[in-house]
Amino acid sequence: MKRMQAVSRFFRSFHVRKIQVLISLSSITITLLTVVLVSVLLFNRFSKAAEENAYLNLGQIIEQVNANLELYVGGMQDIFELTQEQMNAASDIPDDQKLDEQLGTILNTRKDLVSIALFTKEGNLVRGVPELPMRQNTKLTEQLWFESAIQNPKSLQFTPPHIQNLFKSDYRWVVSMSKMITYRDDSRVKQGVLAMDINFRTIDELSQRVELGKKGYVYIIDSVGNIVYHPQQQLIYAGLKYENLEPVLNYAYGSYLDESDGEQRLITIQTVKPAGWKIVGVAYADEFLTTKKELGGFLYSFLLAALVVILIINLYVSARIAQPIRRLERSVQMVEKGDFGTNVYVSGAYEVEQLSKRFNLMLRRIRELMDQIIEEQEAKRKSELDVLQAQINPHFLYNTLNSVTRMAELGRNEEVVTTITSLSRFFRISLSKGKLIIPVEDELEHVRHYLIIQTIRFKNKFRYEIQAEEGTLNALTLKLILQPLVENAIHHGIEKSAEEGFIGVYARVSGDHLEFVIKDNGVGMTQDMMDKLLSGRLRSESDSGVGVINVQERISLYYGKEFGLHYESEPDEGTTVTIKLPMVKTDFPKKERDKS
Amino acid sequence: MSLVHSLSKGLLIMILLLPLTSSCAPAGNLQKGEQMTVIDMIVKMDRGDYWSTIKMGAEVAAKEYNVKLNFLAPENENDYKEQIVLMEQSISRRPDAIILAASDYEALGQATDRSSYYDIPVVSMDSEVASTKVQTFVGTNNYEAGQKAAERLVELTGKQSDIGIVNFVKGARNADQREEGFLDYVARFSGIRVVDIQYCGSDEELAYRLTRNMLTNYPSLDGLVSLSAESSIGAGRAVEEMGYGGKIMMIAFDNPPEMLELLQEETVQAMVVQNPFNNGYMAVSAAVKAARGEKLEDKIPTDTKLIDLENMLWPENQKLLFPFVK
Repeated sequence: MKRMQAVSRFFRSFHVRKIQVLISLSSITITLLTVVLVSVLLFNRFSKAAEENAYLNLGQIIEQVNANLELYVGGMQDIFELTQEQMNAASDIPDDQKLDEQLGTILNTRKDLVSIALFTKEGNLVRGVPELPMRQNTKLTEQLWFESAIQNPKSLQFTPPHIQNLFKSDYRWVVSMSKMITYRDDSRVKQGVLAMDINFRTIDELSQRVELGKKGYVYIIDSVGNIVYHPQQQLIYAGLKYENLEPVLNYAYGSYLDESDGEQRLITIQTVKPAGWKIVGVAYADEFLTTKKELGGFLYSFLLAALVVILIINLYVSARIAQPIRRLERSVQMVEKGDFGTNVYVSGAYEVEQLSKRFNLMLRRIRELMDQIIEEQEAKRKSELDVLQAQINPHFLYNTLNSVTRMAELGRNEEVVTTITSLSRFFRISLSKGKLIIPVEDELEHVRHYLIIQTIRFKNKFRYEIQAEEGTLNALTLKLILQPLVENAIHHGIEKSAEEGFIGVYARVSGDHLEFVIKDNGVGMTQDMMDKLLSGRLRSESDSGVGVINVQERISLYYGKEFGLHYESEPDEGTTVTIKLPMVKTDFPKKERDKS
Repeated sequence: MSLVHSLSKGLLIMILLLPLTSSCAPAGNLQKGEQMTVIDMIVKMDRGDYWSTIKMGAEVAAKEYNVKLNFLAPENENDYKEQIVLMEQSISRRPDAIILAASDYEALGQATDRSSYYDIPVVSMDSEVASTKVQTFVGTNNYEAGQKAAERLVELTGKQSDIGIVNFVKGARNADQREEGFLDYVARFSGIRVVDIQYCGSDEELAYRLTRNMLTNYPSLDGLVSLSAESSIGAGRAVEEMGYGGKIMMIAFDNPPEMLELLQEETVQAMVVQNPFNNGYMAVSAAVKAARGEKLEDKIPTDTKLIDLENMLWPENQKLLFPFVK
């Protein structure tokens, strides 16, 4: 149970959708299938050829043995026939002296011949060479050669090898050839059994010499399955060995694979025609089909090696593909956690590189935007501080109060009252209860009080004019944007001019926008000065301390970049500043607003 | 996804199994380059049908089991000193196993013990040896062989009879066991008397003389048993020459050609035949197993056969009686 859990855990941890896994699995599967398929095909093809070869080889060996045996047995058969002819020719077998000589000659032609003898049907010896006394208890009528000759009168009979116990000589292993023949005994025609015994040694040696690998051997059986020759004959009789003869008896020649005793053996069969014996070659498959095994072993190791190589290449390739993506993923994870500082640089496949490049671009853009936001926030705070300062405007207050003191000393009471009244109104609007946005009407009022104070201070050195178009008064505007510009016009334009100055402040509707125009007829400015002014490098060292640039910044911060100041100026001709603002109407009537 | 999943599982199993299957392949390949097993076979004598047949059986097994067989024997059958020397030489060559047919039960014991010191398994064959280090004994069940002889002799002579025994060496293990088996069997019959036991010391001539004496001393003898090849040849000759053939029931041991002739002439009624071919074969196959370290039975007995005129020409007995094609 525990093992099962471990196994299932293993499979769960194995993300099949990982690119690496997907690539590895698919290519390994394909290559493995291909390699296995090719190996199997090759193996079958080659092993079949090897097997055919082995069978062919075996067949040739056995064929050779068969040819030798047929020659040998055939020769013996000829001798038997010769003997039979001479027996037939003899007129009186028991007493024919010439026959002795003839049979003796025949016997001497082949030293393998042990004896030639003619027996009556009752088993009594008629004539035989060599002439030796018979043994007792031979039971020859019960012996196979005698019985089969009686049973098959027409044909020549071959027995399996047996011990010849007929004559008082050595006991010898012989193969008996026998046939029922007719012979003349004292002019009477009788039937008897002619037997010729051949020493088995030649056949035995011939069979022993056959080499079929280390373990292989040859054995010979007769047509009914009696063993003629078998190297392990004794073991078979003792029941220690078993030779599967049944299928062998069904073949006259041919070969097949025998697995009856668990071991694969190639059986090849040939028939020795004169005797009806079967030569059976037994070769062990593990010796003869080594090619097949070697091939199998080779293919196995090849398969294994191929698999290892494929695995390594696969892991490498898939890692090459998947690793950059994973690194990218980790980088993105870092960004996700808020680390925008790190640059992602991922090398690898082209696509991944491109992806990382784009990702870097995106990251840089985000970083820029964030920097911008921070900058803007800082600027906003700064300009708000500036506005706060402008609201208090201490320099202007000090100058004005100075003028008032002087006017009071000179007894110009009316001017003192006007100045103080305007100053109070000026500051009241300046503060506007801390609001940033005020109606245009208030802004114009603010600048009007400023101009009142300044005309008194500058002893009517200039005139001014404030006009507002219909519908502009209740529009909303940023506060304290007109005063710095007017202050600028006075200090840089009018003050330096010898002529009587003029300042005009106008509010008007231009299309969808609200426009303020501040005009003066002062010394004017060169283009260079205007640029400096707008970039903030030229600051009016005036009372308010709130420069033109501050006005520009505040407008663009509050309303956007498309809104702001526009200067038109010619030296000695005067300057016109146009302020472009969005048209935002207040919802409340002026009275109510005042109350609040 | 499930397809990919099952595919991946299948593949994984294949990958896991592959080393297993491939590990079988080299094992199969090993068989080809398998080392030959070297077995020294030390027997009592390098001559005679009995030992030649053992050698033949051993060689058949050697071929079957891919064995390099060294067949060693002293000049004379009872030269146990020479056998000890052969044993020492063999141990110094460090064969994979030794098969020993000890000429002397006690004398070869020490040499056999020494082989175990070098981890050379010893299989004792034909005759046992006094050593506990022996892996197994392959050989004739001599006691049973003695009983077989007795059983047949009692059948032939009847339950009231006098019996003489010609044995080979008193104190030789095989001789004692055969005699014991024989005596134990006849002891069941009160009417049977074992009147004489002679020991010929594996000498045909002595056996002949001893048997003559026995026949002279006990002319009313009904049965005679000779318990080895040599004693059988001698005893058989004595019985034949003294004209007792067919009158005294005789059981012989082993199958020298002389005895077969006597069997066919009915001087000898039956003989107990060992199977030396099988002994040789089984000894080698047991030695191969011992060399591989397999556990063997204490004794691997090989059968004896009682051969008489009736069955001597049966095909399966012919090969046993005449192991050589001459």
